[in-house]
Amino acid sequence: MTMSLSSLSPPVADRSVRSRPAMIGRGRHLVALMIRWLPALLLIIGLLALWEWAGQAGRLPISVPAPSAIGTEFSDSRDMLWFHTAPTLSAAAKGFVAAAVSAFVLGMVVAFRPRLAGPVYQTSVIVSSVPLVALTPVLVLWLDRGDTVRTTVAALAGFFPILVGCVQGFGARDSGREELFLVLSAGTWQRFTSLTLPSSLPYVFAGLKAAAASAVLGAIIAEWSGGGGTRGLGQMMTNALFGFNVPRTWLTIATAAFLAVGAYAIVATAERLVVRWDHDTAGVER
Amino acid sequence: MSDQHVLLENVSKRFDMRKDSVLALSDVSLSLRRGEFVALIGPSGCGKSTLLRLLADIADPSAGSIRVGGRSPRDARLAHRIGFVFQDPTLLPWRTVLDNVKLPIKIARGRAEHGSASPEELLELVGLGGFENAHPSQLSGGMRQRVAIARALALTPELLLLDEPFGALDEISRQHLNLEMLRIWTETGTTAVLVTHAISEAVLMADRIVVLSPRPGRVTGIVEVDLPRPRTLDLMQTQEFFRLENAVRSALFGTVEATEDPAPLEAHQ
Repeated sequence: MTMSLSSLSPPVADRSVRSRPAMIGRGRHLVALMIRWLPALLLIIGLLALWEWAGQAGRLPISVPAPSAIGTEFSDSRDMLWFHTAPTLSAAAKGFVAAAVSAFVLGMVVAFRPRLAGPVYQTSVIVSSVPLVALTPVLVLWLDRGDTVRTTVAALAGFFPILVGCVQGFGARDSGREELFLVLSAGTWQRFTSLTLPSSLPYVFAGLKAAAASAVLGAIIAEWSGGGGTRGLGQMMTNALFGFNVPRTWLTIATAAFLAVGAYAIVATAERLVVRWDHDTAGVER
Repeated sequence: MSDQHVLLENVSKRFDMRKDSVLALSDVSLSLRRGEFVALIGPSGCGKSTLLRLLADIADPSAGSIRVGGRSPRDARLAHRIGFVFQDPTLLPWRTVLDNVKLPIKIARGRAEHGSASPEELLELVGLGGFENAHPSQLSGGMRQRVAIARALALTPELLLLDEPFGALDEISRQHLNLEMLRIWTETGTTAVLVTHAISEAVLMADRIVVLSPRPGRVTGIVEVDLPRPRTLDLMQTQEFFRLENAVRSALFGTVEATEDPAPLEAHQ
Protein backbone atom coordinates (compact mmCIF):
# COMPACT_ATOMS: atom_id res chain seq x y z
CA MET A 1 0.00 0.00 0.00
CA THR A 2 2.26 2.73 -1.19
CA MET A 3 -0.22 5.08 -2.72
CA SER A 4 -0.17 8.72 -1.85
CA LEU A 5 -3.78 9.24 -1.13
CA SER A 6 -3.18 12.24 1.05
CA SER A 7 -1.98 14.26 -1.90
CA LEU A 8 -5.13 13.37 -3.74
CA SER A 9 -7.40 14.45 -0.98
CA PRO A 10 -6.88 17.77 0.72
CA PRO A 11 -9.47 18.50 3.37
CA VAL A 12 -11.45 20.60 0.95
CA ALA A 13 -14.79 20.73 2.63
CA ASP A 14 -13.84 22.17 5.96
CA ARG A 15 -17.16 23.85 6.48
CA SER A 16 -17.92 21.54 9.34
CA VAL A 17 -14.70 22.17 11.24
CA ARG A 18 -15.75 23.59 14.55
CA SER A 19 -14.21 26.94 15.19
CA ARG A 20 -12.64 26.15 18.51
CA PRO A 21 -10.00 28.31 20.12
CA ALA A 22 -7.26 25.88 19.15
CA MET A 23 -4.88 28.66 18.24
CA ILE A 24 -5.13 30.41 21.59
CA GLY A 25 -1.96 29.84 23.58
CA ARG A 26 -1.67 29.41 27.33
CA GLY A 27 -0.99 33.12 27.96
CA ARG A 28 -3.92 34.39 25.97
CA HIS A 29 -6.08 31.81 27.63
CA LEU A 30 -5.15 33.22 31.02
CA VAL A 31 -5.87 36.77 29.88
CA ALA A 32 -9.25 35.69 28.54
CA LEU A 33 -9.98 34.03 31.89
CA MET A 34 -9.06 37.21 33.79
CA ILE A 35 -11.20 39.37 31.53
CA ARG A 36 -14.11 37.04 32.15
CA TRP A 37 -13.76 37.19 35.93
CA LEU A 38 -12.70 40.82 36.22
CA PRO A 39 -16.23 42.32 36.54
CA ALA A 40 -17.19 39.85 39.27
CA LEU A 41 -13.91 40.45 41.09
CA LEU A 42 -14.31 44.24 40.91
CA LEU A 43 -17.88 43.96 42.14
CA ILE A 44 -16.84 41.84 45.13
CA ILE A 45 -13.97 44.19 46.01
CA GLY A 46 -16.28 47.16 45.69
CA LEU A 47 -18.90 45.58 47.95
CA LEU A 48 -16.26 44.66 50.53
CA ALA A 49 -14.91 48.24 50.48
CA LEU A 50 -18.40 49.64 50.90
CA TRP A 51 -19.05 47.17 53.72
CA GLU A 52 -15.78 48.11 55.43
CA TRP A 53 -16.54 51.80 55.08
CA ALA A 54 -19.99 51.32 56.61
CA GLY A 55 -18.41 49.42 59.50
CA GLN A 56 -15.79 52.14 60.13
CA ALA A 57 -18.53 54.76 60.04
CA GLY A 58 -20.59 52.79 62.57
CA ARG A 59 -23.47 52.38 60.19
CA LEU A 60 -23.74 48.58 60.40
CA PRO A 61 -26.21 46.79 62.68
CA ILE A 62 -24.67 45.18 65.73
CA SER A 63 -25.05 41.69 64.23
CA VAL A 64 -22.86 42.53 61.23
CA PRO A 65 -19.11 43.07 61.72
CA ALA A 66 -16.86 44.85 59.28
CA PRO A 67 -14.80 42.59 56.99
CA SER A 68 -11.61 43.59 58.81
CA ALA A 69 -13.10 42.32 62.07
CA ILE A 70 -13.75 38.93 60.45
CA GLY A 71 -10.16 38.98 59.14
CA THR A 72 -8.80 39.70 62.61
CA GLU A 73 -10.95 36.91 64.05
CA PHE A 74 -9.55 34.56 61.41
CA SER A 75 -5.91 35.26 62.34
CA ASP A 76 -6.74 35.05 66.08
CA SER A 77 -8.60 31.73 65.98
CA ARG A 78 -7.07 30.01 63.01
CA ASP A 79 -6.12 26.88 64.99
CA MET A 80 -9.58 26.61 66.48
CA LEU A 81 -11.13 27.01 63.01
CA TRP A 82 -9.04 24.19 61.59
CA PHE A 83 -9.72 22.03 64.66
CA HIS A 84 -13.44 22.30 63.96
CA THR A 85 -13.31 22.27 60.15
CA ALA A 86 -11.25 19.11 59.69
CA PRO A 87 -13.88 16.61 60.93
CA THR A 88 -16.61 18.43 58.98
CA LEU A 89 -14.58 18.20 55.81
CA SER A 90 -13.79 14.55 56.37
CA ALA A 91 -17.47 13.72 57.00
CA ALA A 92 -18.51 15.70 53.92
CA ALA A 93 -15.94 13.88 51.77
CA LYS A 94 -16.98 10.45 53.07
CA GLY A 95 -20.65 11.31 52.62
CA PHE A 96 -20.00 12.54 49.08
CA VAL A 97 -18.23 9.31 48.14
CA ALA A 98 -21.02 7.22 49.70
CA ALA A 99 -23.64 9.25 47.81
CA ALA A 100 -21.70 8.94 44.55
CA VAL A 101 -21.26 5.16 44.86
CA SER A 102 -24.85 4.43 45.84
CA ALA A 103 -26.33 6.79 43.23
CA PHE A 104 -24.06 5.32 40.56
CA VAL A 105 -25.08 1.76 41.45
CA LEU A 106 -28.78 2.69 41.45
CA GLY A 107 -28.31 4.55 38.17
CA MET A 108 -26.81 1.38 36.67
CA VAL A 109 -29.72 -0.69 37.98
CA VAL A 110 -32.08 1.69 36.19
CA ALA A 111 -29.93 1.62 33.05
CA PHE A 112 -30.11 -2.17 32.84
CA ARG A 113 -33.69 -2.47 34.15
CA PRO A 114 -35.54 0.60 32.85
CA ARG A 115 -38.75 -0.62 34.48
CA LEU A 116 -37.25 0.19 37.86
CA ALA A 117 -36.75 3.85 36.91
CA GLY A 118 -40.15 4.85 38.35
CA PRO A 119 -39.83 3.17 41.77
CA VAL A 120 -36.19 4.23 42.20
CA TYR A 121 -36.96 7.84 41.31
CA GLN A 122 -40.08 8.05 43.47
CA THR A 123 -38.36 6.59 46.52
CA SER A 124 -35.41 8.92 46.03
CA VAL A 125 -37.65 11.97 45.70
CA ILE A 126 -39.41 11.10 48.94
CA VAL A 127 -36.16 10.48 50.81
CA SER A 128 -34.64 13.68 49.45
CA SER A 129 -37.70 15.72 50.33
CA VAL A 130 -37.33 15.10 54.05
CA PRO A 131 -35.83 18.26 55.60
CA LEU A 132 -32.35 17.37 56.77
CA VAL A 133 -32.68 19.59 59.84
CA ALA A 134 -35.64 17.49 60.94
CA LEU A 135 -34.06 14.20 59.97
CA THR A 136 -30.83 14.63 61.91
CA PRO A 137 -32.29 14.37 65.45
CA VAL A 138 -33.99 11.13 64.43
CA LEU A 139 -30.73 9.81 63.06
CA VAL A 140 -28.96 10.84 66.26
CA LEU A 141 -31.43 8.67 68.17
CA TRP A 142 -30.97 5.76 65.77
CA LEU A 143 -27.27 5.86 65.24
CA ASP A 144 -25.14 7.83 67.67
CA ARG A 145 -23.89 11.34 68.11
CA GLY A 146 -20.65 10.56 66.34
CA ASP A 147 -19.34 10.77 62.87
CA THR A 148 -21.90 8.40 61.33
CA VAL A 149 -24.74 10.89 61.56
CA ARG A 150 -23.07 13.78 59.79
CA THR A 151 -21.61 11.46 57.16
CA THR A 152 -25.09 10.05 56.55
CA VAL A 153 -26.68 13.48 56.30
CA ALA A 154 -23.92 14.66 53.95
CA ALA A 155 -24.57 11.57 51.82
CA LEU A 156 -28.33 12.21 51.81
CA ALA A 157 -27.75 15.82 50.77
CA GLY A 158 -25.56 14.79 47.85
CA PHE A 159 -27.39 11.65 46.74
CA PHE A 160 -30.26 12.99 44.67
CA PRO A 161 -28.37 15.31 42.30
CA ILE A 162 -25.94 12.49 41.47
CA LEU A 163 -28.77 10.01 40.94
CA VAL A 164 -30.51 12.41 38.55
CA GLY A 165 -27.22 12.92 36.69
CA CYS A 166 -26.59 9.16 36.43
CA VAL A 167 -30.13 8.23 35.35
CA GLN A 168 -30.26 11.01 32.77
CA GLY A 169 -26.72 10.32 31.57
CA PHE A 170 -27.15 6.56 31.28
CA GLY A 171 -30.52 7.07 29.60
CA ALA A 172 -29.29 9.59 27.03
CA ARG A 173 -29.42 7.70 23.74
CA ASP A 174 -27.90 8.64 20.43
CA SER A 175 -29.67 6.51 17.83
CA GLY A 176 -26.73 6.63 15.42
CA ARG A 177 -24.26 5.32 17.99
CA GLU A 178 -26.79 2.74 19.16
CA GLU A 179 -27.00 1.39 15.60
CA LEU A 180 -23.23 1.41 15.33
CA PHE A 181 -22.91 -0.76 18.43
CA LEU A 182 -25.65 -3.04 17.12
CA VAL A 183 -23.82 -3.56 13.82
CA LEU A 184 -20.60 -4.16 15.77
CA SER A 185 -22.47 -6.82 17.81
CA ALA A 186 -21.38 -5.34 21.12
CA GLY A 187 -22.53 -7.12 24.26
CA THR A 188 -24.56 -5.41 26.97
CA TRP A 189 -21.57 -4.77 29.18
CA GLN A 190 -19.37 -3.61 26.29
CA ARG A 191 -22.08 -1.20 25.27
CA PHE A 192 -22.25 0.17 28.80
CA THR A 193 -18.51 0.65 29.26
CA SER A 194 -17.66 1.81 25.73
CA LEU A 195 -20.75 3.86 24.88
CA THR A 196 -23.16 4.59 27.74
CA LEU A 197 -20.60 5.46 30.40
CA PRO A 198 -18.44 7.88 28.38
CA SER A 199 -21.44 9.66 26.89
CA SER A 200 -23.04 9.98 30.35
CA LEU A 201 -20.06 11.73 31.94
CA PRO A 202 -21.19 15.35 31.33
CA TYR A 203 -24.52 14.53 33.03
CA VAL A 204 -22.89 12.63 35.87
CA PHE A 205 -20.45 15.45 36.52
CA ALA A 206 -23.27 18.00 36.56
CA GLY A 207 -24.80 15.95 39.40
CA LEU A 208 -21.45 15.53 41.17
CA LYS A 209 -20.78 19.27 41.09
CA ALA A 210 -24.12 20.10 42.67
CA ALA A 211 -23.66 17.28 45.20
CA ALA A 212 -20.17 18.39 46.29
CA ALA A 213 -21.44 21.70 47.65
CA SER A 214 -24.56 20.06 49.11
CA ALA A 215 -22.51 17.44 50.97
CA VAL A 216 -20.48 20.12 52.75
CA LEU A 217 -23.59 22.03 53.76
CA GLY A 218 -25.33 18.75 54.73
CA ALA A 219 -22.54 17.89 57.15
CA ILE A 220 -22.82 21.33 58.76
CA ILE A 221 -26.60 21.02 59.05
CA ALA A 222 -26.14 17.69 60.83
CA GLU A 223 -23.72 19.31 63.26
CA TRP A 224 -26.28 21.98 64.15
CA SER A 225 -28.64 19.32 65.39
CA GLY A 226 -26.10 17.42 67.41
CA GLY A 227 -24.51 15.18 64.83
CA GLY A 228 -20.78 14.76 65.29
CA GLY A 229 -20.39 15.49 69.02
CA THR A 230 -18.63 18.67 70.07
CA ARG A 231 -16.19 19.07 67.19
CA GLY A 232 -17.24 20.51 63.86
CA LEU A 233 -17.72 23.70 61.91
CA GLY A 234 -21.43 23.55 62.67
CA GLN A 235 -20.72 23.35 66.40
CA MET A 236 -18.31 26.25 66.18
CA MET A 237 -20.99 28.18 64.33
CA THR A 238 -23.73 27.56 66.90
CA ASN A 239 -21.36 28.15 69.84
CA ALA A 240 -20.29 31.49 68.40
CA LEU A 241 -23.90 32.37 67.63
CA PHE A 242 -25.17 31.63 71.11
CA GLY A 243 -22.07 33.20 72.68
CA PHE A 244 -22.85 36.46 70.84
CA ASN A 245 -19.43 36.31 69.21
CA VAL A 246 -20.46 38.10 66.06
CA PRO A 247 -17.11 38.10 64.16
CA ARG A 248 -16.60 34.40 64.86
CA THR A 249 -20.12 33.57 63.67
CA TRP A 250 -19.39 35.33 60.40
CA LEU A 251 -16.01 33.65 60.13
CA THR A 252 -17.69 30.24 60.28
CA ILE A 253 -20.29 31.32 57.71
CA ALA A 254 -17.56 32.52 55.36
CA THR A 255 -15.64 29.28 55.90
CA ALA A 256 -18.72 27.18 55.10
CA ALA A 257 -19.27 29.11 51.88
CA PHE A 258 -15.60 28.80 50.98
CA LEU A 259 -15.65 25.01 51.55
CA ALA A 260 -18.78 24.58 49.44
CA VAL A 261 -17.32 26.59 46.56
CA GLY A 262 -14.00 24.74 46.93
CA ALA A 263 -15.75 21.35 46.77
CA TYR A 264 -17.53 22.44 43.62
CA ALA A 265 -14.26 23.67 42.11
CA ILE A 266 -12.47 20.39 42.84
CA VAL A 267 -15.15 18.36 41.03
CA ALA A 268 -15.25 20.88 38.17
CA THR A 269 -11.48 20.51 37.79
CA ALA A 270 -11.79 16.72 37.83
CA GLU A 271 -14.40 17.02 35.09
CA ARG A 272 -12.09 19.11 32.93
CA LEU A 273 -9.39 16.47 33.33
CA VAL A 274 -11.70 13.54 32.51
CA VAL A 275 -14.10 14.97 29.92
CA ARG A 276 -11.45 16.23 27.58
CA TRP A 277 -13.27 15.87 24.29
CA ASP A 278 -15.37 18.98 24.77
CA HIS A 279 -12.55 21.26 25.81
CA ASP A 280 -9.73 19.72 23.84
CA THR A 281 -7.74 22.71 22.63
CA ALA A 282 -4.55 20.81 21.83
CA GLY A 283 -3.48 21.08 18.23
CA VAL A 284 -3.55 18.12 15.89
CA GLU A 285 -0.43 16.06 16.48
CA ARG A 286 1.46 15.39 13.31
CA MET B 1 -24.51 -18.62 -10.03
CA SER B 2 -21.57 -20.25 -8.35
CA ASP B 3 -20.00 -17.15 -6.81
CA GLN B 4 -23.29 -15.85 -5.53
CA HIS B 5 -22.77 -14.15 -2.18
CA VAL B 6 -25.84 -12.26 -1.03
CA LEU B 7 -29.30 -13.52 -1.87
CA LEU B 8 -32.62 -11.78 -1.23
CA GLU B 9 -35.79 -13.70 -2.03
CA ASN B 10 -39.20 -12.00 -2.04
CA VAL B 11 -38.19 -9.67 0.76
CA SER B 12 -40.84 -7.31 2.10
CA LYS B 13 -40.68 -4.89 4.98
CA ARG B 14 -43.75 -3.40 6.60
CA PHE B 15 -43.56 -0.70 9.26
CA ASP B 16 -46.47 -0.74 11.68
CA MET B 17 -47.66 2.69 12.63
CA ARG B 18 -50.27 3.46 15.26
CA LYS B 19 -53.25 3.26 12.91
CA ASP B 20 -52.09 1.57 9.75
CA SER B 21 -48.90 0.17 8.35
CA VAL B 22 -46.56 1.29 5.60
CA LEU B 23 -45.09 -1.08 3.09
CA ALA B 24 -41.48 0.11 2.76
CA LEU B 25 -40.27 -2.75 0.59
CA SER B 26 -42.35 -5.04 -1.54
CA ASP B 27 -41.22 -8.38 -2.89
CA VAL B 28 -37.58 -7.56 -3.54
CA SER B 29 -35.45 -10.32 -5.03
CA LEU B 30 -31.78 -9.76 -5.76
CA SER B 31 -28.60 -11.74 -6.07
CA LEU B 32 -25.18 -10.24 -5.47
CA ARG B 33 -21.97 -11.86 -6.70
CA ARG B 34 -19.02 -12.13 -4.35
CA GLY B 35 -16.80 -9.07 -4.65
CA GLU B 36 -19.39 -7.16 -6.62
CA PHE B 37 -20.06 -3.44 -6.14
CA VAL B 38 -23.80 -2.79 -6.26
CA ALA B 39 -25.49 0.59 -5.99
CA LEU B 40 -29.06 1.00 -4.78
CA ILE B 41 -30.64 4.13 -6.19
CA GLY B 42 -34.07 5.65 -5.93
CA PRO B 43 -35.98 8.67 -4.68
CA SER B 44 -36.50 9.15 -0.96
CA GLY B 45 -39.04 6.74 0.43
CA CYS B 46 -38.10 3.93 -1.92
CA GLY B 47 -36.76 1.85 0.94
CA LYS B 48 -33.13 1.72 -0.16
CA SER B 49 -31.83 2.51 3.33
CA THR B 50 -34.30 0.02 4.75
CA LEU B 51 -32.93 -2.64 2.42
CA LEU B 52 -29.43 -1.91 3.70
CA ARG B 53 -30.60 -2.14 7.30
CA LEU B 54 -32.16 -5.53 6.60
CA LEU B 55 -28.81 -6.74 5.21
CA ALA B 56 -27.06 -5.48 8.36
CA ASP B 57 -29.65 -7.07 10.66
CA ILE B 58 -30.53 -3.69 12.15
CA ALA B 59 -34.12 -4.55 11.19
CA ASP B 60 -35.89 -7.82 10.31
CA PRO B 61 -37.75 -8.42 7.06
CA SER B 62 -41.51 -8.87 7.39
CA ALA B 63 -41.46 -11.56 4.72
CA GLY B 64 -38.94 -13.32 2.52
CA SER B 65 -35.44 -14.50 3.23
CA ILE B 66 -31.96 -13.01 3.15
CA ARG B 67 -28.72 -14.97 3.04
CA VAL B 68 -25.25 -13.49 3.40
CA GLY B 69 -22.58 -16.00 2.47
CA GLY B 70 -25.01 -18.83 3.16
CA ARG B 71 -26.08 -17.64 6.60
CA SER B 72 -28.62 -15.24 8.00
CA PRO B 73 -27.74 -11.56 8.35
CA ARG B 74 -27.86 -12.02 12.14
CA ASP B 75 -25.24 -14.76 12.08
CA ALA B 76 -23.10 -12.69 9.72
CA ARG B 77 -23.40 -9.70 12.04
CA LEU B 78 -22.61 -11.74 15.16
CA ALA B 79 -19.57 -13.13 13.36
CA HIS B 80 -18.44 -9.51 12.80
CA ARG B 81 -18.53 -9.97 9.03
CA ILE B 82 -20.53 -6.85 8.18
CA GLY B 83 -19.06 -3.39 7.83
CA PHE B 84 -21.40 -0.40 7.84
CA VAL B 85 -20.73 3.22 6.98
CA PHE B 86 -23.59 5.44 8.11
CA GLN B 87 -24.75 8.74 6.68
CA ASP B 88 -23.15 10.45 9.67
CA PRO B 89 -19.64 9.43 10.71
CA THR B 90 -20.96 8.43 14.19
CA LEU B 91 -17.48 8.55 15.71
CA LEU B 92 -17.01 8.45 19.46
CA PRO B 93 -15.75 11.92 20.39
CA TRP B 94 -13.89 10.69 23.49
CA ARG B 95 -11.72 8.34 21.45
CA THR B 96 -8.83 9.35 19.28
CA VAL B 97 -9.02 8.74 15.55
CA LEU B 98 -6.94 5.57 15.90
CA ASP B 99 -9.01 4.27 18.81
CA ASN B 100 -12.18 4.87 16.80
CA VAL B 101 -10.80 2.67 14.01
CA LYS B 102 -9.83 0.03 16.59
CA LEU B 103 -13.32 -0.03 18.14
CA PRO B 104 -14.61 -3.02 16.11
CA ILE B 105 -11.47 -5.01 16.97
CA LYS B 106 -11.88 -4.20 20.65
CA ILE B 107 -15.52 -5.26 20.61
CA ALA B 108 -14.88 -8.45 18.65
CA ARG B 109 -12.20 -9.40 21.26
CA GLY B 110 -10.42 -11.82 18.98
CA ARG B 111 -13.59 -13.59 17.90
CA ALA B 112 -13.16 -12.28 14.36
CA GLU B 113 -10.19 -12.29 12.08
CA HIS B 114 -8.35 -9.01 11.97
CA GLY B 115 -8.11 -7.11 8.77
CA SER B 116 -5.23 -7.74 6.42
CA ALA B 117 -4.40 -4.08 7.02
CA SER B 118 -3.69 -2.81 10.53
CA PRO B 119 -5.70 0.17 11.86
CA GLU B 120 -2.66 2.36 11.24
CA GLU B 121 -2.42 1.15 7.64
CA LEU B 122 -6.15 1.72 7.15
CA LEU B 123 -5.77 5.32 8.29
CA GLU B 124 -2.90 5.67 5.83
CA LEU B 125 -5.16 4.18 3.17
CA VAL B 126 -7.91 6.75 3.70
CA GLY B 127 -5.35 9.55 3.69
CA LEU B 128 -5.30 10.24 7.42
CA GLY B 129 -1.79 9.08 8.27
CA GLY B 130 -0.47 11.35 11.01
CA PHE B 131 -3.91 12.02 12.46
CA GLU B 132 -3.91 8.93 14.72
CA ASN B 133 -3.96 10.92 17.95
CA ALA B 134 -6.34 13.65 16.82
CA HIS B 135 -9.85 13.73 18.19
CA PRO B 136 -12.87 13.67 15.84
CA SER B 137 -13.81 17.24 16.79
CA GLN B 138 -10.55 18.41 15.25
CA LEU B 139 -11.38 16.94 11.84
CA SER B 140 -13.48 18.21 8.97
CA GLY B 141 -16.65 16.43 7.91
CA GLY B 142 -14.91 14.64 5.05
CA MET B 143 -12.04 13.51 7.27
CA ARG B 144 -14.47 12.15 9.85
CA GLN B 145 -16.25 10.12 7.21
CA ARG B 146 -12.90 8.65 6.14
CA VAL B 147 -12.30 7.56 9.72
CA ALA B 148 -15.72 5.89 9.60
CA ILE B 149 -14.68 4.06 6.40
CA ALA B 150 -11.43 2.90 7.99
CA ARG B 151 -13.41 1.69 11.01
CA ALA B 152 -15.82 -0.28 8.80
CA LEU B 153 -12.83 -2.06 7.25
CA ALA B 154 -11.02 -2.83 10.51
CA LEU B 155 -12.17 -6.46 10.58
CA THR B 156 -12.16 -7.07 6.78
CA PRO B 157 -15.92 -7.45 6.38
CA GLU B 158 -17.23 -9.81 3.74
CA LEU B 159 -20.09 -7.37 3.15
CA LEU B 160 -19.53 -3.61 3.19
CA LEU B 161 -22.70 -1.54 3.43
CA LEU B 162 -22.54 2.16 2.59
CA ASP B 163 -25.58 4.26 3.43
CA GLU B 164 -25.13 7.50 1.47
CA PRO B 165 -21.75 7.86 3.14
CA PHE B 166 -20.81 11.03 1.31
CA GLY B 167 -24.26 12.58 1.12
CA ALA B 168 -23.41 15.40 3.49
CA LEU B 169 -20.28 16.43 1.61
CA ASP B 170 -19.80 18.85 -1.24
CA GLU B 171 -19.31 17.64 -4.80
CA ILE B 172 -15.50 17.97 -4.82
CA SER B 173 -14.79 16.05 -1.62
CA ARG B 174 -17.40 13.57 -2.61
CA GLN B 175 -15.73 12.63 -5.89
CA HIS B 176 -12.34 12.35 -4.21
CA LEU B 177 -13.77 10.06 -1.57
CA ASN B 178 -15.65 8.03 -4.18
CA LEU B 179 -12.42 7.25 -5.99
CA GLU B 180 -10.64 6.44 -2.71
CA MET B 181 -13.52 4.20 -1.74
CA LEU B 182 -13.18 2.31 -5.03
CA ARG B 183 -9.44 1.93 -4.54
CA ILE B 184 -9.91 0.55 -1.03
CA TRP B 185 -12.68 -1.74 -2.22
CA THR B 186 -10.40 -3.09 -4.95
CA GLU B 187 -7.76 -3.91 -2.35
CA THR B 188 -10.11 -5.63 0.07
CA GLY B 189 -12.22 -7.45 -2.51
CA THR B 190 -15.33 -7.36 -0.33
CA THR B 191 -18.86 -7.28 -1.65
CA ALA B 192 -20.12 -3.72 -1.39
CA VAL B 193 -23.59 -2.20 -1.44
CA LEU B 194 -23.87 1.56 -1.81
CA VAL B 195 -27.08 3.46 -1.19
CA THR B 196 -27.18 6.74 -3.07
CA HIS B 197 -29.53 9.18 -4.72
CA ALA B 198 -26.91 10.54 -7.13
CA ILE B 199 -27.03 8.95 -10.56
CA SER B 200 -23.45 9.88 -11.54
CA GLU B 201 -22.11 8.50 -8.25
CA ALA B 202 -23.89 5.21 -8.86
CA VAL B 203 -22.52 4.90 -12.42
CA LEU B 204 -19.01 5.86 -11.32
CA MET B 205 -18.87 3.32 -8.50
CA ALA B 206 -20.96 0.29 -9.28
CA ASP B 207 -20.81 -2.90 -11.33
CA ARG B 208 -24.58 -2.96 -11.21
CA ILE B 209 -27.19 -0.37 -10.32
CA VAL B 210 -30.43 -1.51 -8.76
CA VAL B 211 -33.18 1.07 -9.35
CA LEU B 212 -35.97 1.23 -6.78
CA SER B 213 -39.33 2.98 -6.95
CA PRO B 214 -41.12 4.43 -3.92
CA ARG B 215 -44.31 3.51 -2.03
CA PRO B 216 -43.97 0.62 -1.91
CA GLY B 217 -40.26 0.18 -2.56
CA ARG B 218 -39.73 -2.30 -5.34
CA VAL B 219 -37.05 -3.01 -7.89
CA THR B 220 -37.92 -1.39 -11.23
CA GLY B 221 -34.72 -2.01 -13.09
CA ILE B 222 -31.14 -3.14 -13.01
CA VAL B 223 -28.47 -1.38 -15.03
CA GLU B 224 -25.24 -3.22 -15.76
CA VAL B 225 -22.26 -0.87 -15.72
CA ASP B 226 -19.59 -2.29 -17.99
CA LEU B 227 -17.15 0.58 -17.64
CA PRO B 228 -13.52 -0.50 -17.25
CA ARG B 229 -11.81 -0.47 -13.85
CA PRO B 230 -10.04 1.28 -12.27
CA ARG B 231 -12.57 4.01 -12.76
CA THR B 232 -11.36 7.59 -13.17
CA LEU B 233 -13.03 10.97 -13.22
CA ASP B 234 -12.22 11.20 -16.95
CA LEU B 235 -14.70 8.41 -17.52
CA MET B 236 -17.45 10.79 -16.51
CA GLN B 237 -16.91 12.74 -19.72
CA THR B 238 -17.38 9.76 -22.01
CA GLN B 239 -20.34 8.97 -24.21
CA GLU B 240 -20.70 5.62 -22.51
CA PHE B 241 -21.02 7.27 -19.09
CA PHE B 242 -23.85 9.53 -20.36
CA ARG B 243 -25.58 6.54 -21.91
CA LEU B 244 -25.49 4.70 -18.58
CA GLU B 245 -26.69 7.76 -16.68
CA ASN B 246 -29.62 8.02 -19.06
CA ALA B 247 -30.38 4.34 -18.69
CA VAL B 248 -30.59 4.83 -14.89
CA ARG B 249 -32.62 7.98 -15.36
CA SER B 250 -35.17 6.27 -17.58
CA ALA B 251 -35.43 3.37 -15.13
CA LEU B 252 -35.98 5.92 -12.34
CA PHE B 253 -38.52 8.11 -14.03
CA GLY B 254 -39.95 5.73 -16.57
CA THR B 255 -39.27 8.14 -19.42
CA VAL B 256 -38.55 6.33 -22.65
CA GLU B 257 -35.41 7.91 -24.00
CA ALA B 258 -33.49 7.11 -27.12
CA THR B 259 -31.21 4.57 -25.53
CA GLU B 260 -30.38 1.54 -27.60
CA ASP B 261 -29.89 -0.45 -24.38
CA PRO B 262 -32.97 -0.02 -22.21
CA ALA B 263 -32.62 -1.20 -18.65
CA PRO B 264 -33.87 -4.72 -18.12
CA LEU B 265 -37.04 -4.68 -16.06
CA GLU B 266 -36.46 -8.12 -14.66
CA ALA B 267 -35.41 -7.82 -11.03
CA HIS B 268 -34.14 -11.29 -10.43
CA GLN B 269 -30.96 -12.24 -12.20
